[in-house]
Amino acid sequence: MKRSSSIAIALAALSLASACTVRTGVRGTGQGGRGGGSADSDQRGDGGRVEPAGGNGGGGTAEPAGPQPSVLVPATDEPLIAFDVWFQVGSQDDPPGKEGLAWLTGQLLARGGTAAHSYDEILALLWPMATAYSANVDREMTTITGVVHRDNAIAFQQLLSDAYTTPAFAAADLERLRAEGIAYLEKGLRYAFDEELGKAALLDAVFAGTGYAHPPQGTVAGLKAITAADVQAFYRSHYTADRVVFGLAGGWVTEVQERLEASRAALPAKATAPRAPAPAPRPVTGRRLRLVDKPGADASISLGAPIDVGRDDADFYPLFLAVSWLGEHRAQTGQLFATIRGARGLNYGDYAYIEAYPDGGRRQTPPTNVGRRRQIFEVWVRTLPNASAHFALRAAIREVDKLIANGLTQEQFELRRHFLKKYILHYAETAAARLGYAIDDRFYGLDAPHLERFQKALDTMTLADVNGAIKRHLQTRNLTIAIATGDATGLRDAIAGEAPSKVAYASPKPPEILEEDRTIGSYPLGIAADRIEIVPVDEIFARGSRR
Amino acid sequence: MLDSRRILCAAAVAALVAGGLTLGERRGDAKRAPPPPSVLPFAVQQRTLPNGLRVIVIALPGSGLASVRTAVRTGARDEYEAGHSGFAHFFEHMMFRGTVKFPQEVYQRIYTELGAATNAYTNVDMTVYKADVAAEDLPRVFEMEADRFMNLDYALQAFQTEAGAVYGEYRKNRSTPDYQIDEAVARTAFTRHTYAHLTIGFEKDIAAMPTMYDYSRRFFQRYYRPENAVLLVTGDVQPDAVFALVEQHYGGWRRGYKPPKITAEPVQTAERKVEIAYEGKTLPIVALSYKTERFDPASVDYAASLVMTELGFGQTSPLAKKLVIGERVVQRLTGSPGQSRDPGLLRIRAIVADPTKVDYVRAELDAAIMALREQLPDAAQVDAARSRLRYEFLMKLDSASGIADALAPIAALTGGIEAVDQLDASLARVTPAAVQAAARRILDLRRRTVAILREKQP
Repeated sequence: MKRSSSIAIALAALSLASACTVRTGVRGTGQGGRGGGSADSDQRGDGGRVEPAGGNGGGGTAEPAGPQPSVLVPATDEPLIAFDVWFQVGSQDDPPGKEGLAWLTGQLLARGGTAAHSYDEILALLWPMATAYSANVDREMTTITGVVHRDNAIAFQQLLSDAYTTPAFAAADLERLRAEGIAYLEKGLRYAFDEELGKAALLDAVFAGTGYAHPPQGTVAGLKAITAADVQAFYRSHYTADRVVFGLAGGWVTEVQERLEASRAALPAKATAPRAPAPAPRPVTGRRLRLVDKPGADASISLGAPIDVGRDDADFYPLFLAVSWLGEHRAQTGQLFATIRGARGLNYGDYAYIEAYPDGGRRQTPPTNVGRRRQIFEVWVRTLPNASAHFALRAAIREVDKLIANGLTQEQFELRRHFLKKYILHYAETAAARLGYAIDDRFYGLDAPHLERFQKALDTMTLADVNGAIKRHLQTRNLTIAIATGDATGLRDAIAGEAPSKVAYASPKPPEILEEDRTIGSYPLGIAADRIEIVPVDEIFARGSRR
Repeated sequence: MLDSRRILCAAAVAALVAGGLTLGERRGDAKRAPPPPSVLPFAVQQRTLPNGLRVIVIALPGSGLASVRTAVRTGARDEYEAGHSGFAHFFEHMMFRGTVKFPQEVYQRIYTELGAATNAYTNVDMTVYKADVAAEDLPRVFEMEADRFMNLDYALQAFQTEAGAVYGEYRKNRSTPDYQIDEAVARTAFTRHTYAHLTIGFEKDIAAMPTMYDYSRRFFQRYYRPENAVLLVTGDVQPDAVFALVEQHYGGWRRGYKPPKITAEPVQTAERKVEIAYEGKTLPIVALSYKTERFDPASVDYAASLVMTELGFGQTSPLAKKLVIGERVVQRLTGSPGQSRDPGLLRIRAIVADPTKVDYVRAELDAAIMALREQLPDAAQVDAARSRLRYEFLMKLDSASGIADALAPIAALTGGIEAVDQLDASLARVTPAAVQAAARRILDLRRRTVAILREKQP
């Protein structure tokens, strides 16, 4: 195995995959390369923003000309086949007051009956194949995906295509899935998944008043207000031949592809709904804090601010490297992790992101098919005791501030570059993941596959690129913080009063840690009482913020 | 991480698999007779070192990546001493705290340079260490992995700090209804056996962990031994080169495993009940847990219990059709067969969509269980369940790391991966009568624990 060529082989495999990905020359209205955005970009709202290169209209608002070509990632000797049917619709398209409509429509396609079969018949047919297809509804993308063993490819494809071409929209299926959505919001997100609650509360605050604010599952009032007619109208106006992209990966035979692509003819030809513009988050000046008051809960902290850097931006990969150094997801090598967990053992992990990373507690590598035209720089401090929350918040913001002030050293940069060159190979190990990335390349309108561009960027990147990107895009002056906590009033008073925070350790700590604790414990946050809101947990996601 | 119960649903009709499936090319050895048909669509090479370490290598050319799994056959089950629950999991954390040769900072730095994806998990029966790396870096990885398994060394302070992180992990999980029901079922169903506590441990034991440094060293000496571990390597590797590296780095690992003194659970003779008042909002959950047999892939009776669980409580069962799809009084119904090293639990769980219908759902569950005991299942349904179990396993084999992840729990439970083909052969012999017999044997009221979780009433 002493083979210096293995990375090259992996790269060659990526290139091969890209070579087989059919691309189109159609571009959206946007302009690529938005490098050099201001770190204070969130100050100006969205006034000066241009649309990203929309590729085939995936991310942009332009309508593509003619059917969009399929995304194909063949690997002929693989026994598994991944399907990914992407519809260019998402929860941002929910009408105000009907939040959850895109989610419910997607779920009804994937988990409801069709003209040919009732839902229980579909389950019985899928059961011996040990597979299913599912609808993944995010802000801008809806994908219906599934993996099947090639023994069962044709039977699976038929059921999958029936799902989005001839949905029955049975009343019983609608009520079952509506109830599930409401239970997710009322019981799950509010009461069982504190970490997701903190993250959802952050997005809700940052994007208040826009289509990005509510979780894809919607709001309680929104889900309750949706009628069967709403679902059918939404389906007819969004699930159309001009807004679908078919994707296949693995070892399929021609017939599978032909049948999949032929299903386009069964969809309405043209979408009648306008494409949603990218959301414009309201400008934030200074820091603000939203406390989700959940009696009995420990503290789960998320904080962030909009950034104006997409995958097509020259600053994207340098900024990714910097933020990976700060807190690569679920890796034990980030600075936030080292500070809060490694040296102090305050919680389970601490990470940072420049792209949406939903369901982070349940995944190790980045999700695909959650493409968004607006992203935030986000820090996630996992659950810790309320008594440590003020300290941990200070520690996290201080680490970001240090990164902005000092940048990385040459040594830190080189080490992180080494890390990423190999670590990102793990981002797309399976056929389904490779397909997900290829679909996202289309969404972002990239001229070459993201992970291949990432490798190339790492080869040529300099420390100056990284430190420049940090200066241009990261800031903590204008920041939104969300904390789900069982001690909302205590935290509000401590934070507004800039009370010194101390950590009571169960074990002795080295003097240098205790010394640093004194600095962290008095690190000013500058959040006045009138910048702090307390939201009772039963009110969050009760209704939408758009009018 | 907490109990991952669905460890394996392996099955296959070997004859169907033998010719058609290849993941990568099949690498046979031309000098030997061809191996018997296997469920696994690739060649497996194995050796056992003189110190007892079993090494399994699966070559899958082309990706440039390799996956290493070290399955230590020790989990929460082995925590037989009072006051030490949660230790196997805690110890998993300590394994990332360095050695004399590679102190934690150096260890972290090298793994950062290598861009390795490393992690680990613990459940009741095992602790599995994972490293996904570039294949060219395997020599370095083996050097470091072997070193920490043989020479782990950490300071008191690091030990105490990590105890705090474990407490954080506990906090992150304890608020969920699933956690609370798992915890209540374990302590109610088991009175003597160590399955009475969850992997994370009792809270009082977690709180006391910082004081147990000396015990942690004994734990390592007792369980982290070559004859109690299996090393799995998959990916873009040459097996002979892997064996040579493993012998070089792990050859000096000394035997010395001391089996845990686990008390067998007495036969349960009457139904047990537990009610959980949940602080927060939740749909009610009805959980029925039956004492069942240990994971025994060579047993047709055991294989029949897997089929029975699928037919009785899977998504196409008459019960799911009626309660989940038809009446919508249940939001989710799941059934998990026992897959543990010692006799464990077959678990049936229903999330009740309508909180006023808990009693009705219980009655429906009981009626369905009675029907499983009374009625011979349809042969076609048994075949469908077999097919499902077969593809469920095959579809996990989606990458070098997927294959390693699918096989590591089997290696941890049984000491090897022969169980895959054994279970396949057993499943092929399951008849409708064997399925009904499994229902009669396992779904016995006297051997069950009924747990009901509801929102706490003010």
